[in-house]
Amino acid sequence: MIPQPGSVLTDLAVKLAMSIAPETTSSFAMANTGLISMLMLSLAQDSERAVANRMADIEDMKTLFRSNDAQPAPGVDLRGAYCESAPTGLHLTEMDVYHAEGLNLLIDLQAWAELHSPPLDEAIWQFLRAHTERNRFDLPDL
Amino acid sequence: MHPNLKPLADRFISYLAERWEVPVVLKTIEQIPGGASRETYRVRVEAAGEIHGLILRRDPVSSLIDTERALEYQTYVAVYGSEIPVPEPLILEEDARHLERAFSVMREIPGCETGIPLLSTPPYNALRETIGRNKWTLLGKLAAMDVTQLGVAGFMDVPEHPAARELDYWSRVIDADALHPQPVAQATIRWLRRNLPPPGPKLSLVHGDYRSGNFLYTTEGDIRGVLDWEMAHIGDPLEDLAWSLDPVWAWPERDLAGALLPRDQAIGIWERASGIPVNREVFRWWQIFASLKALAIWISSTEDFINGESKEPILGMAGWVLTDRQNRILVDRLQPGSPLLYAEALV
Repeated sequence: MIPQPGSVLTDLAVKLAMSIAPETTSSFAMANTGLISMLMLSLAQDSERAVANRMADIEDMKTLFRSNDAQPAPGVDLRGAYCESAPTGLHLTEMDVYHAEGLNLLIDLQAWAELHSPPLDEAIWQFLRAHTERNRFDLPDL
Repeated sequence: MHPNLKPLADRFISYLAERWEVPVVLKTIEQIPGGASRETYRVRVEAAGEIHGLILRRDPVSSLIDTERALEYQTYVAVYGSEIPVPEPLILEEDARHLERAFSVMREIPGCETGIPLLSTPPYNALRETIGRNKWTLLGKLAAMDVTQLGVAGFMDVPEHPAARELDYWSRVIDADALHPQPVAQATIRWLRRNLPPPGPKLSLVHGDYRSGNFLYTTEGDIRGVLDWEMAHIGDPLEDLAWSLDPVWAWPERDLAGALLPRDQAIGIWERASGIPVNREVFRWWQIFASLKALAIWISSTEDFINGESKEPILGMAGWVLTDRQNRILVDRLQPGSPLLYAEALV
């Protein structure tokens, strides 16, 4: 059987919040139960989308690195090598290492773009908007 | 009393009896949720025929905010009795042998609430404007106080350039604690460095965490106590005003700052109470800084949750969910041509 962590965590989080939290005997326990339930909902959302989101970020960063506006910036060889490489494996931890390498290159590139290429800076902000939106958590109000 | 609290309660009662030199009897003890920087307990004891409501704050194993307890306690001592209501500070005990970790004790201010969600339910929703007026009036009065007369300049650093000092400090927190690259935070730090304002005309006692949720309010809309001074310092008073208005404190509410008042109204109340006109250009810097400081705290809490001894859910919650929200706020504020989905335009 293939586990479905996203839906299982969601079901457990709802159970925790709706059935178990009201049975707790102190406001401290109830508040913490609510927080744990929220955390489980967050993990449920991320477990379902994590690989897709990392890959989407990586592809978007490679597009930025290959753009004409990025070519004059220092580090072109490092970015070129990154564009030609891939994660060492499909585990999320391996994907995260590769994703972090890309983000570090992006940070350096944006620092240069802010001073030398407003169009590239704007394109990187568009990426940061897409990056934060695809990784957003949609939760009930805290 | 929850059985888990009995060892702590027994030791605390023994400590009080020794310190007060009278027999002390425990009436009740309960842990208060939401104490992200200290473990907080409401304790009721009887001593010499009198009932005492106390708030015990013990250092946690791991905290959302790394703070100096003595500095916080001294700040309570300095502010107590001024126009800014705070709980009466009673004891600072830094010897960990009594309760395993250092702690402080304040007198409880009874009959009040602190919760932000309550502000949208009766009877408090009808009192938002009153509470908001009181909130920003008090903050304005705090800004107007003289740090030397208040006594805080005797134990706090007096910065030459408050904005530069705060930015350096919180940038270092991000660099030290980020478990992953933080492109939004780094872009924000660079923006803040490029646009650093000159030192402002006045130094004030900055609360450092003045927001809805950190003061005690009544069913009449009075504010009886301002809490959580662990990040207090001497600095630019605009820092507190900006922090109080950050969209994360009212999320997902966009129109009411701190879920209480429209932003411009809050700023106007603060200006009248402080006598300090808000320089909008400088204030824009402080508002972006406020979001960065909050982001630093959330990033730091992630690190604490993953690598620290404490697995308090508030650390994980702040680490992931609030980092996400703060990142969205900062992108909203700094992206050229931003559609402003989460934050209002800064003018």
